Amino acid sequence: MSDSGRPGLGWWLLILPALLLLLAFYVAPIVQVLAVSVTEPEMGLGNYERIFTSGSVQRVILTTLRICLITTVFALLLGYGIAYAITLASPRMKGWWILAVLVPLWISVLVRAFAWVTLLRRQGLINNTLMESGLISEPLPLVWNEFGIIVGMVHYMVPFAVLPMLSSMREIDPRLLAAARGLGASRGDTFRRVFLPLSMPGVIAAGVLVFIFSLGFYITPAILGGGKTLMVAEWISLQILDLIRWGLGTMMATMLVLAILVTLAVFSRIVDLRRIFGSGA
Amino acid sequence: MDGAHTPGPFGRGLAWATALYLVLPILIILPVALTDQRYLSLPQDGISFEHFRTVLSSPEWLGSIWQSFTIAIAATVLSVVAGTLCAIGCWRISRRATDLIRVLMLLPLIIPSIVYAIGLYRYFGPLGLLDRFAGVVLAHGVTGIPYVVITVSTALAGFDPRLEQAARGMGASLSQTLRWVILPRIAPGIFSGAIFAFIHSWDELVMVLFIASRDVFTLPRRIWDGINENLDPAMAAVAVLLILFTTLLLMADRALRRRSEG
Amino acid sequence: MSDGRGHALVLRGLSKHYGAFTAVDKVSLEVGQGEFLTLLGPSGSGKTTILMAVAGFVAPTAGSILLDGSDITPLPPEKRNFGMVFQGYALFPHMTVADNVAFPLRVRRLSRADRDVKVRAALDLVQLGQFADRLPKQLSGGQQQRVALARALVFDPALLLLDEPLSALDKKLRAELQEELKALHKRVGRTFINVTHDQEEALSMSDRIAILNHGKLIQHGAPGALYERPRTRFVADFLGKSNFLEGIARVPTARGFTLEAGVHDIAVRLTEGEAPPPEGKRSLLSLRPEKIGLLTDGATAENVVGGSIVAWSYLGAGYSLRISTDTLGELRVVLPAWQASFAPAEGLPVRLGWSADAAVLVEDDAP
Repeated sequence: MSDSGRPGLGWWLLILPALLLLLAFYVAPIVQVLAVSVTEPEMGLGNYERIFTSGSVQRVILTTLRICLITTVFALLLGYGIAYAITLASPRMKGWWILAVLVPLWISVLVRAFAWVTLLRRQGLINNTLMESGLISEPLPLVWNEFGIIVGMVHYMVPFAVLPMLSSMREIDPRLLAAARGLGASRGDTFRRVFLPLSMPGVIAAGVLVFIFSLGFYITPAILGGGKTLMVAEWISLQILDLIRWGLGTMMATMLVLAILVTLAVFSRIVDLRRIFGSGA
Repeated sequence: MDGAHTPGPFGRGLAWATALYLVLPILIILPVALTDQRYLSLPQDGISFEHFRTVLSSPEWLGSIWQSFTIAIAATVLSVVAGTLCAIGCWRISRRATDLIRVLMLLPLIIPSIVYAIGLYRYFGPLGLLDRFAGVVLAHGVTGIPYVVITVSTALAGFDPRLEQAARGMGASLSQTLRWVILPRIAPGIFSGAIFAFIHSWDELVMVLFIASRDVFTLPRRIWDGINENLDPAMAAVAVLLILFTTLLLMADRALRRRSEG
Repeated sequence: MSDGRGHALVLRGLSKHYGAFTAVDKVSLEVGQGEFLTLLGPSGSGKTTILMAVAGFVAPTAGSILLDGSDITPLPPEKRNFGMVFQGYALFPHMTVADNVAFPLRVRRLSRADRDVKVRAALDLVQLGQFADRLPKQLSGGQQQRVALARALVFDPALLLLDEPLSALDKKLRAELQEELKALHKRVGRTFINVTHDQEEALSMSDRIAILNHGKLIQHGAPGALYERPRTRFVADFLGKSNFLEGIARVPTARGFTLEAGVHDIAVRLTEGEAPPPEGKRSLLSLRPEKIGLLTDGATAENVVGGSIVAWSYLGAGYSLRISTDTLGELRVVLPAWQASFAPAEGLPVRLGWSADAAVLVEDDAP
């Protein structure tokens, strides 16, 4: 690649391997399979009609949206609290707070789901402790239902909510907070009128990120839902692996991708994805 | 500043509660793995390493660990080579021309892996890549590229493009400039990217559920089966080993970053 | 608190330690009603720490702060009712100019009508009435600075604290705003405490200057008094430029003494009430460059030394000369251009002269 004569060409060649790999082994498989949604079992939009006619399709979509919204709200609330603490913490404490966010982020999602099963199931640590202490006589239904899914998903999503909020809070000049105090604002006023509005871009970015990640989430809902509460990802897998209904499964996959892309497009003015991922890594 | 703005009691309480919620469930696995009982529980009469012994002497678990490890290494090499070259190319060529490529690079992070997994399930069949080492490496390697592109791009953002021009101006070829000027400067970024790409492959389950079945049976796949079939303390032992391994990788990354900054 | 007049502030033995580091060392200072006081010092002199302690952002390690005789040391910043102009202004980027200025009124729960009246008055005071609906980033640096002033004054604060208010502006704008700030101080009649490292700014705006170094208050007084009668080498050097002459004090009387600097004797006249150094004491004189004249042939002065020009530069209004003297080493001389009856040239022999009351006896506090 050394002497190509034209200076720019060598640099373009550097991009080529990644580009070809992604096109041939990422984009192509996805496009091909999404196309199945209009070709199987027969050509046309028959599969998409099921959104309006099939109760079970509607149910899975509504369940998914409900769980995702609840997850987003809780992840934002908890994530905001921790991002706020990190931003205002002393440099020494900051490291520990960030560790509390990053360690769960990188620990296998399977391990985390397993931990929640250990804690929440009927003979789990929480139910056992509560029974032994006599607070309850029957085990609480903490897992293999929507509650369990949300507990596990929020746990997975909080770090993703923290990172964009943190990067937006870091840009808030601490002198503004001092200025507010100096001008007579109480702690509550300073937070409400200065910190909160200035951190809103981060909150919105975090909300979008958590929501789109939640939509297609597979492992945690599958383990903590116990097959009783289905979200779209598990439903798609069920259609394709067990029921061999490719058309229906790929229709839902297409809807999933569309929902994510539309959400991103709507918020693209506010949310700079590259920055979010840049700060996450 | 002593009079600086600090969180109030509610903010502080929320942050602590969240930190405990994030960390405690992960920590609770350790005592469970050390239980002296035969079922998932806290230790009753003392701690026991029995379950670790079970895992580390089981050919199935060891086989899966080895398979996951080799797949992750191979996938990481693929991601790092392709990702690093791509990040350097994008950095040097004007922003607008490479915008589409940058967006393309984000797709694997945004599009749920279930969609990619069903795509591969159908795509790999005719190619004979189902349940093959090469197939899983390809899938993990391709989806690991974005992690490398991001970390290397971040490292390059702090790199003065005039250094590259100076090297070329002094007569260095493109490959010499890469080897002697650019790569040494961004090595920490590449290493970070490699760690993330490795963890990505090492933990990946959804694709494996679709494109592997018997011959390729990775560690996440075995854990998945374990959770769904028999919840025993050996699972907790595996989880502890995984947590330790991930923590070690992250600490290596941290140490390296600190050294390159300091 | 809003009687429209200034309030008096007293610092009593104020200290601030950060671990082993002493940022402020037992500073005692009084600021009179309606006074414009400037804390002047190099970076790390503790001037900003003092201001932050007055504002309530830094808790002093020892000492107290009194406002009109009552101790305010334990009060949090929002309870002190002091206006503050921050370095870089700290305007809220998400609020318009009017909302920024209304902020202190809003957190004091004033009605909207009262707020509007006061905001308008404050913006008119700084001549920014027509910019009320702009965002801070749509304003120039000078305009932002004036918004910060309006915001700090709108709630009738007991004091106005200014943290390097002009440092972010370019030189020309800075000179303009110095005058404006001084005029504003006259108009509102409040007590202003200003922090700066810029001696010109301090000299031109302040009623009184307090000079700090390494956390200690070195000297305070009116700008002219400080410039004319610096007490230490540091003050003489930091406020303007100065030549320093070292020697042994001889024949001290109530009126003056002679400084024996090597082979050269320098006549020094003392001001009223100033005590001469004891006979034989090693002493230091500060001699301002503009107080040294070039003597024409035949002219004489109380102190005369010969020498030649080593370097010179033309400053428009005058010349700055470096002169190597026969007996006193190198001296810096500043000469109004209209007084120079010659064309300076390197190597040109000259005679320098100054009167016996031109040099000031200073304490040598050089490290």
